[in-house]
Amino acid sequence: MTLKLMQGNEAVAMGALAAGCRFYAGYPITPSTEIAEVLSRQLPKLGGKFIQMEDEIASMAAIIGASIGGLKSMTATSGPGFSLMQENLGYAVMTETPCVVANVQRLGPSTGQPTSASQGDVMQARWGTHGDHPIIALSPTSVPQAFDLTVTAFNFSEKYRTPVILLLDEVIGHMRERFDMPDFENVQRVERLGVNVPPEWYKPYGDSVSDVPPMANFGDGYRYHVTGLFHDPMGYPTQRLDEIEAWIQRVNRKIERNLDEIILTEADGLEGAQTVVVAYGATVRSARHAVKLARQRRHKVGLLSLLTIWPFAEAEVARLAQNCRRIVVPEMNLGQLALEVERVAGRSKVRRVNLANGEMIHPQMILEAIEAH
Amino acid sequence: MTENDLQPAPAAAATARSKSGPRGRVIVFGSWCKGCRLCVDFCPKHVLALDENDHPYPANPEACNACRWCETHCPDLAIVVKPVQ
Amino acid sequence: MSRLEQHSAYNYLRHTKKFPNVWCAGCGIGIVMGALIRAIDHLELDQNDVALVSGIGCTGRMPVYMDFNTMHTTHGRALAFATGLKLAQPRLKVIVIMGDGDALAIGGNHFLHAARRNMDLTAIVVNNAIYGMTGGQYSPTTPIDLRATTAPYGNVEPPIPVGELAIAAGAAFVARGTVYHAVELDRLIAQAIQKEGFSLVEAVSYCHTTLGRINKLGTAGDMMNTIKNNSVTLSAAEKMSEEDRQAKIVRGVLRDVERPGYLRLYDQVIERAIAQEASHAG
Repeated sequence: MTLKLMQGNEAVAMGALAAGCRFYAGYPITPSTEIAEVLSRQLPKLGGKFIQMEDEIASMAAIIGASIGGLKSMTATSGPGFSLMQENLGYAVMTETPCVVANVQRLGPSTGQPTSASQGDVMQARWGTHGDHPIIALSPTSVPQAFDLTVTAFNFSEKYRTPVILLLDEVIGHMRERFDMPDFENVQRVERLGVNVPPEWYKPYGDSVSDVPPMANFGDGYRYHVTGLFHDPMGYPTQRLDEIEAWIQRVNRKIERNLDEIILTEADGLEGAQTVVVAYGATVRSARHAVKLARQRRHKVGLLSLLTIWPFAEAEVARLAQNCRRIVVPEMNLGQLALEVERVAGRSKVRRVNLANGEMIHPQMILEAIEAH
Repeated sequence: MTENDLQPAPAAAATARSKSGPRGRVIVFGSWCKGCRLCVDFCPKHVLALDENDHPYPANPEACNACRWCETHCPDLAIVVKPVQ
Repeated sequence: MSRLEQHSAYNYLRHTKKFPNVWCAGCGIGIVMGALIRAIDHLELDQNDVALVSGIGCTGRMPVYMDFNTMHTTHGRALAFATGLKLAQPRLKVIVIMGDGDALAIGGNHFLHAARRNMDLTAIVVNNAIYGMTGGQYSPTTPIDLRATTAPYGNVEPPIPVGELAIAAGAAFVARGTVYHAVELDRLIAQAIQKEGFSLVEAVSYCHTTLGRINKLGTAGDMMNTIKNNSVTLSAAEKMSEEDRQAKIVRGVLRDVERPGYLRLYDQVIERAIAQEASHAG
């Protein structure tokens, strides 16, 4: 372990290296550029490769190419770049290519306020790329957790053969915190499921038991086809409805059947709570303080911190909703994840606390929502 | 000999056997051929013609000098020219 | 196909894939595929070490027919996907197959930077001067005044000179061939594949189904003839006046310079990084 005072963006870069990331392609954009800068220095030391591409579209394409070439790969950006990456993000979903996309959110829309924090890209992380598709998005609440969730992001992407989005906000990205960084060899890494049949039997998208097909890498002697078109188990383009339907069901099922592992949350005083605060990212830090103040004033308040944003923690929120009178949802946007909470818990039970001007939500605002009649 | 020098021989001479030099046998793989007739139009020796299904067949097999223009220009890789000893 | 003698092309096709191919009868893309297969055959490359990466459009459907590592990516972005693949697996010969719109319109930015970086890739641009897959819209290489479904009154945009653009951007090897000169084309492709750094082969082709029909340019055979009669070798072109040369398709190797490829340069970055690390630790 090495005790450090580390910036959140640097922790993401270090987490990537610890997870086995050996390829980064990206494009400079405030407030995520430090991730690229750190990796441009660290990757070559490990024989890994860094490239600054001509734009974010190319960056997303390059990490997919590198992953199919066998390297764990990552890019990092912010809102404007994340918008540019959407089409190729969809290609990673369709081709089931493991990769990690960090989006250090800044105040939008458009150029917005680049150095201010926001959680305004939550719905974009879910529905940014066109068409129905599953996605995994994680959101750290501290610098140490930025490291941990980056490792988790890589492990999920390899295990489920899917792109994983790391949703930071500018606060977590740029703040510095004490962090006792583990030695990389002690970090648990998941590798993609290898192939154990000879090349002539290999079906790149064959129906596997776990819904996640084993993945050969280009150059391993398994000459297969990858396409963004709907494809049959051999990876060849298909228009057959039964094959399209089979793909849709399998690719959604591979996430849906593993929610208990994928959905990560932190609970604080939820049992018996009359009011529950549901928060994620940097807002959890404000919520903790507000909950502490509320408890000092005898309120029975619990805090549910969502580390996994997508898939939404539907079952957990539904369970909490049955036993509590009110759910408070503070977000640095005008209400995005709150829509999910309202869908599950019913609108009348939910009280939103929204701030979308680039400032962090002050604990006082959350306290008022907890105490309001 | 670059392809630009491959001027189509006048029709009459084409049917004469090419006395010396290489000779070939044109094989058309019917189910891949779409009848685009490039091979028929550009064969320098007028070996190929269209059958009733608009598919090429070697109408003048003797004239083929195995230049393989048809094989190398078939958009469907449906033609093979086998050298004849 | 027992009847057919082993034809070199058939060794390289995917026999689990339905033939004939998807292109219109007479389309030049199939000819370029044949030339590519012959080039790979000449070079006796191990099929495991060849990767084909295509974008979207008629050319995008080429890789799937061939028994290599093949990727059919998104429109205009093939070179960026290929960059990542090449950096991750340097042993692979990565060949990127694009159409004119794919490479120069939506893909123009990636085309410039792949050439500028001298990225170790071979780009084959099948230039038929139209968007064929979507039914005949004008592209960055459509000649002025020709009509298209989106230029019903005649195209007013001057075409991009593909080869000259790649040369200006820094490509180490640039050649131009045509689908009429298919054997010469496979030689140029083979040369490009062997070249370190970014190599481009522009394969001038035609689209009789859209551009040809809209502008009454005739059948596939007619358009093939037009290419044949309209192209000259580089040496012949050098004897022509500037004005005459403008109207011709100039074939041959337009540029062949020694420039270190990106991979060689980045390997040196890795060496420097490791050396620096060692000196700090020491």
